[in-house]
Amino acid sequence: VSAKEMVIEIQKSGVIAFSAEACVGCGTCELMCTLYHEGVGGRELSRIRILRDPFNHEYQALICPQCLAPSCYAACLSSGDAIRIDEVTGARYVDEDACMLCEDCIEACPFEPPRIRMLDGRETVVKCDLCREREAGPICVEYCPVDALAFIARSER
Amino acid sequence: VSEPKSYGWAGTVLHVDLTSGAITRTPTAEYEPEKYIGGVGLNTRIFWELGCPKVAAFDPANPLIVSVGPLTGLPGPFNRAEVCSISPQSYPQELFTYSGFGGKWPSEFKYAGYDAVVVVGRAEAPVYISIHDQDVRIVDATGYWGLDTYEAQQAIIDRDPGTSVLCTGPSGEKLSRNAVIANETGNTAGQGGFGAVMGSKNLKAIAVHGTGVVPIAKPREFLALIEDRKAKGDWMVGGPQSWARGPLDAQGAVRDEMIEKYRKKYAGCFGCQYQCTAFYDMPGVGKGQAMCASWFYADLNQDSRAVWEAQVASQKLGINHFDLIGIWFVLQEMVERSVLTDEEWTAAGLPPVPKMWGGEATDHEFLSALYGGIADGTSPFAAGGGRGFHQLIKSLDKEEELRTLYETRFPASGQTAHYFGWLGLALHVAMDTRDAGNSTDAYLTFGGRPDVAIEDPEEGLRVAERTGKHFGMPTGLTTYGFAEGSAIKAEYAGIERLTKWTLSNHHLKNSLPMCNFACLPDQFFDPPEMDIRVFESTLFSLVTGVETSVDELWKAGERIWNLRRAALVRRSGRTRADDTFPDAIFDTVWLDGDGLEVHETQFVREEFEALKDRYYELSGWDVETGRPTRAKLEALDMTEVADLLEREGYLGERRAS
Repeated sequence: VSAKEMVIEIQKSGVIAFSAEACVGCGTCELMCTLYHEGVGGRELSRIRILRDPFNHEYQALICPQCLAPSCYAACLSSGDAIRIDEVTGARYVDEDACMLCEDCIEACPFEPPRIRMLDGRETVVKCDLCREREAGPICVEYCPVDALAFIARSER
Repeated sequence: VSEPKSYGWAGTVLHVDLTSGAITRTPTAEYEPEKYIGGVGLNTRIFWELGCPKVAAFDPANPLIVSVGPLTGLPGPFNRAEVCSISPQSYPQELFTYSGFGGKWPSEFKYAGYDAVVVVGRAEAPVYISIHDQDVRIVDATGYWGLDTYEAQQAIIDRDPGTSVLCTGPSGEKLSRNAVIANETGNTAGQGGFGAVMGSKNLKAIAVHGTGVVPIAKPREFLALIEDRKAKGDWMVGGPQSWARGPLDAQGAVRDEMIEKYRKKYAGCFGCQYQCTAFYDMPGVGKGQAMCASWFYADLNQDSRAVWEAQVASQKLGINHFDLIGIWFVLQEMVERSVLTDEEWTAAGLPPVPKMWGGEATDHEFLSALYGGIADGTSPFAAGGGRGFHQLIKSLDKEEELRTLYETRFPASGQTAHYFGWLGLALHVAMDTRDAGNSTDAYLTFGGRPDVAIEDPEEGLRVAERTGKHFGMPTGLTTYGFAEGSAIKAEYAGIERLTKWTLSNHHLKNSLPMCNFACLPDQFFDPPEMDIRVFESTLFSLVTGVETSVDELWKAGERIWNLRRAALVRRSGRTRADDTFPDAIFDTVWLDGDGLEVHETQFVREEFEALKDRYYELSGWDVETGRPTRAKLEALDMTEVADLLEREGYLGERRAS
C-alpha cells in the first residue's frame, strides 16, 4: 500500500501552523513541549524546533506537518505498526511501547531534517503528536506569547 | 567525568586558566549551592573560595566568573547569567561587582552542563573559549580581534556552528573601562567594565553549544504551577518593563518614527513569555535590539537616525550605553558653561561639539569621534565615565569648578546612577558597588509602578499600596518620587526595612536567577496563597527537590548579600564610611528625571547617617563599622565566614543598643 493510495483510507489530521512574521524566537514552544513531553528543561528534545537568526531577528520552525498522506505511517505499517492515527485529533503519533527503533519512519519522512527523531537514551523515536492527550490542545500553541503558532483543526484543514 | 546527580543545577563548575591553558572541572556541590544558589550567589562563593584576591582588575589573577542558576534553562523569565569580577569601572576603587544579562547564551551554557565558568590568567595571543558540551577548547582568535560584537559573533558561529557567543568588542580589547560583554544584539553585561577584563585576558569570546537538559525534581507540579499562573492571567506577553518596547512618550517624534517605521518585532530573552524589548531595522544605520537606556540620545536630539546610530554603534563597539548617558550630559554641560576654549577642548581629546549644542559637527561626526575614542582607548572617557571625567577635570585644573557636576552625575561608585534621586534606592546604591540597576523596578513598585502609572497614575498607586501593605513596606510617595509638584521632601522612616527587603529580593533574583523586570513584587500576587516570595520558593523547591520554605529562601537572599558584604570587607576593607555619596549629593539640591517629570532631591547627611544606623542594626551588622557580626553570620549558617573574618580582623563586633 503506497502513501498515495492511503489518502482515502486514513483520516485527516489537525496541524500546527507557523507565522515567521510573528515569531520572536523566544523558544517558549520548545521549552513547553520539552517540559510537557519529557519532564525536563531544555530545547534539544523538543518536537518543535526553532532555527534562529538573532542578528536579523528572523526565525523558522521545524514542525511535523501531519501529512495528509503520511509516509512515516506507511513505512511503519510494514515494520512495526508503531505509528498510529489518533481517533480524535487525527494526529500521526508514535506508540512508544511498540516502536522497534528500526528508523524506517525517519528514512521515509520527506522533510529535511526529518520531523521524526531519535533521542539519546530513549528507546523509541519521537514526533509531534499534537499533544493528543492534552485537553487544551498543543501546549506550544497555547503558550506562544506572540501567536506565531496556531492550531488548525482537521475539519478546517 | 563523573558528576554528581542533581536537579536544577548542572553540577559542574568549569575552570579555564588562560595562562597555562589548563581546563578543569569541580563539582558545583563544593560551593554549597543549596545555600548560595547560583548567579551572583555562586559567583561570590567561588570568589570567596579563591581568597577574594587583592589584585587589580587587569591583573591576570582577577577571576572573571560567569554563573547561571538552578532555574536557567527552564521556561520562564529565568534565562539569565551573572558576571562577577573585580571591576575596572568602579571608582575611585576597583571593587568586586556584578552585572547580569539575558538573551540566548545563559540557557545554552546550562544545557552544555555547567553552572559556572571561572576564567583566570592571560593568554599570550587572542583566544576564545569554545564549549560543545563536554568538549572545551581554547581556540586561536587572532582573526577575530578587532571585529565588532556583531561581526565577531557571526564569524565565531560560522566556525563553531550552533553556538551562542558571549564576546567583547573593540573597546574591551583596548581596555576601555566601560566595555561591555555582549550576547547577540541587545543582551549585555553592561556595568562593571567586564568587557575590558576579557580584553585584559586576551579573551575575545566564550562560545557555547549545549545539547543537554535540566532535570526537574517534580516536573508535573512545576508544569501545574505554570499552568495555574497562566490561568490566573500573570503568565503572558507584555513585560512589566514595557517602556523598552519603544522610546518614551517624552522622547517625542523619535518615538513615533522608530515604532512606526523601524520596529520590526518585539523581542525578549530565550524562554521568556514576556517580550519586554523590541528589534529595529533602520536601513543604512543598522539593526538590533533596544532597551530603555537605548533611547536617551533622544533627550538631546530629535533625529531618529542619530538616536539609532548612538545605540547600534555602542552595541557593536561594546560600550556601556548607560555610561554614555552620563558622558553626554557632562559634555553638554561643559559646552553650555563654556568651561573650555575651543583649543583646550580639542587638546583634551574631546569629540567635536555637535550642532545640537551649537557646534559644527554632525551627530555622526560627534558620535564617531566619541565612540571611536572609547573603542580605541584614546578618549578620556575610555577610563569610564566617572573615572574619565574626574581625571579630565583634574588634569585641566577644573576640579573645583566642576566637582558638583562630577559628583552628581557619577555618584554610584563613579558610575551613572539609576533614578538615584529617589531616596528609596539611595541606601542600596550607597552600599553597593554599582548603581542599584536591576532592582530599581522593585523599589519603584512600592512607589507606584511607573509603567502602570504612565497609563493610569491612580492604578499605579493602588498597586503600590496593596503590595506595600502586604510586604510591610513604606509606600509614601515622597519616598519614591511620584509626588505632586517637583520638590520632594524625603521621608527617611522605614527605608531601612525597604532596603533590607529589596536586598534579599535583589540577591535572590540575581541568583535563582529570575528576571527582576519580569517578576516584580506585585506580580503573582494572590495572597495569602500566592505572592512573589511564595512563587520563588515553590519554584525553587519543585525544580531542585530541596524543600525550601518562603523564609528559608528569603534567608538565602540575605546570606548572599552578607557574603558579598564579607567579600568587600575582606578584599577592600569596606567599612561604614564607604557607604556614602560624594559631598555634592548632600550639599546641593539636584534634579533627577524619571522620564515623566523632573524632581528635585536633597539628601540630609544627618538623616542619612541615622538611616544607616537603623539599617545596620536591623541587619545585625556592627553599627560602628558596618560589618557583619558573628551572631548574624551564624544565624545565616555562615560560621566559616565569621571564623575567617575574625582571623583576618574584619569581623563586626559591636552592636548599638
